[in-house]
Amino acid sequence: MSLAMHVPILAIAVPLLGAFALPLMAKVHHRLRDLWALVVGAFTVAMIVTLAVQVFTVGVQVYTLGADTPDATLGPQGFPIRITLVADAMGAFMALISALLGGAALIYALGFLEESKGKTLSMSLFLLLWAGMLGLKLTGDMFNFFVFLELTSVAACGLIGYRAWESRPPEAAFKTLVMFILGGLMVLLAVAILYGEYGALNMAFLSAQIGGSLLDRVALGLLLGGLLMKAGAVPMHMWAPDAYGEADANTAIVLVANTQAGLYALFRVVFTLYGGAATPEVGYLVTTLGALTVLVAVLMAVVQTNLGRLVAYGAISQIGYMLLAAGVGLVTLGVGPEFGRVALQGGVFHMFNDAACIGLLFLCVGAVRRAAGSGDLRSLGGLAHTEKWTSGFFLLGALALAGIPPLNGFASKLMIYQSVFQLSPILTALAVLASILLLAVFVRAFQGAFLGPRQSMSGAPLSPAMLAGMAVLAVVVIAFGLVPDLVVRHLVAPAAEALWTGRDVYLAAVLGG
Amino acid sequence: MIGNLPFVVCMILVALGLWTLMTRRNLIKLAIGIVLIENGVNLFLVSLGYVRGGVAPIYTYAPQGVPVNVPMAMPTPQALTLTSIVIGVATTALLLAFAVLIHRQRGTLDAGRIRELRG
Amino acid sequence: MNLLTGEGFWSPLVWLALAVGVALLAWWLRSKGRQDYKRGTEQATPFLSGEPMPEGVHVGGQHLYWGFVEALRPVVDRLRAFHSGVVTDYVTWLVVMLAVVFLVVMLS
Repeated sequence: MSLAMHVPILAIAVPLLGAFALPLMAKVHHRLRDLWALVVGAFTVAMIVTLAVQVFTVGVQVYTLGADTPDATLGPQGFPIRITLVADAMGAFMALISALLGGAALIYALGFLEESKGKTLSMSLFLLLWAGMLGLKLTGDMFNFFVFLELTSVAACGLIGYRAWESRPPEAAFKTLVMFILGGLMVLLAVAILYGEYGALNMAFLSAQIGGSLLDRVALGLLLGGLLMKAGAVPMHMWAPDAYGEADANTAIVLVANTQAGLYALFRVVFTLYGGAATPEVGYLVTTLGALTVLVAVLMAVVQTNLGRLVAYGAISQIGYMLLAAGVGLVTLGVGPEFGRVALQGGVFHMFNDAACIGLLFLCVGAVRRAAGSGDLRSLGGLAHTEKWTSGFFLLGALALAGIPPLNGFASKLMIYQSVFQLSPILTALAVLASILLLAVFVRAFQGAFLGPRQSMSGAPLSPAMLAGMAVLAVVVIAFGLVPDLVVRHLVAPAAEALWTGRDVYLAAVLGG
Repeated sequence: MIGNLPFVVCMILVALGLWTLMTRRNLIKLAIGIVLIENGVNLFLVSLGYVRGGVAPIYTYAPQGVPVNVPMAMPTPQALTLTSIVIGVATTALLLAFAVLIHRQRGTLDAGRIRELRG
Repeated sequence: MNLLTGEGFWSPLVWLALAVGVALLAWWLRSKGRQDYKRGTEQATPFLSGEPMPEGVHVGGQHLYWGFVEALRPVVDRLRAFHSGVVTDYVTWLVVMLAVVFLVVMLS
């Protein structure tokens, strides 16, 4: 019984334990608390990387809770009644994204949060959210899927609204929480329907049973509705700008990871759970919603005057690209033309790239708010005179997000454009148009906030930890832009393959045979 | 047909909850709507677990002797419902806490007037 | 070293090499130009229709695409009204989308 066998559960249990122990550490001394948070964060990242190495070199990792050996997924009667954690290439890929964003957010938060303004509680909730996200990405069981979904909802809304002395955060948190609870309840209703129909909660077992019966379809509809909302597809995205715009910068990037976890859950449902019964109509629906999301979010970003909300709409538009790519993959799933595979790879690759660029932009927004004391584009200006690093990082993130070569956003957007083009040239034209508008939006934001003559500002200087958090993401943006082929071959292609053809591998790993 | 009555009641509860959320403007009433939906789903889970003539899933309670195939209710739905109730309490508490904060700051609970974040 | 993208391929290192080449060419062309530019003289100040240049003016971000946004005004106004900020509207849209999803799932 080595520690390496228990990596999947440790990746969830360590941040969970860390979250609840953190306030106790803070009672002793605030330096001990920071040290504890760093140790927990480093350990979690190490566990995720170990797990990813195992998954990408060996294959699907299955971990059964409460069994004599971790691989005994089936009970004594050959019925999968135990709770399982399953990490396939897609799950491990998503866990790597949350490791990147969680790590950067943790480093940034140490310098960004203020002692007198609830630093302990915010960091505790952050670790809780991190644990919930990882659980959502690694669970192989429908009910724990719901439990982790609700865990992320509660922790996320707590983080959005914890600045209770201001007027906007509680409002954003209330609206977001209403939507999250509704989405979670839809998922629970679907889980109950599937349980009532098949008497099991194990995803692999359910996937093997699901055909196209009426109840299956009702459950699929509920799951799609709840998870599309969680991912922020137009017109169910309205909570997202409120939440992203009002949250602290370190919270906002974890919320981006959380939104992507919702998207991952959607992929898991349509490709793995309903993979055998998938219909192209659902693919067309997802594609349409993706195109709508890209356009509406970008148009809204054009007219924003608050820097946080502007970047938030940018983040929503990127979710649209992923939905577009996944929809094309879903339309062609089972038929198997090559462009469906490329589209899926592009979408999956874009998730990592979007996490890095949008994360970088949100951290820069936080730095601007700290340095200038406000995020209002109407009063900002001239920050580049004093904040050279922040302006550089903002420009880097903005160019990467708009898809300017040779940064990382270009590579994945190119894959999406070329593959979507073969389904419908109009969709590609819309996507390219939205990308151009996005560049215009960020040029405007950069010009408004950073250029111009020096202004007197009411803010405080940035701490080295904040710059370190931004630097982590900036390095990823540049590195992934320079060697996209290596990243795609070793990380993205296996992850996309896990969705595209990996359903049988997933089922075999859990159910045996 | 009468066996489906609990499911009909569940769906009525969920529909009432959604109706409340769409038509009422008071934040507390919105919380009530959410709780209605929650209870509808919980009731659905519990009624799924009912087995006619079944015994409680406790090993020592299992009837001794000849009839081995006495139906036993699966304990899973009850466990799920308990978990879901606990989660529901947490989310409702958080929701009401935010409603209280909003009321303290603005002196209103009207959702139509709490729209500083828009556009 | 090439990333296959379905139709073609993408190789950032080749692109960077080309970009450096183009930059060198541009620098060479520029160095062929006139040499009578002097820093710090009147040549360096912007020309504003003969008006004296005002000090410390900054065109804020919200003015940058004034004409563009003005042309899109009908669409943008409708979109802003759509993001009403009332939480019951959010729920209504969720229910509407749920109905659409159900329609698609049931008919497929």
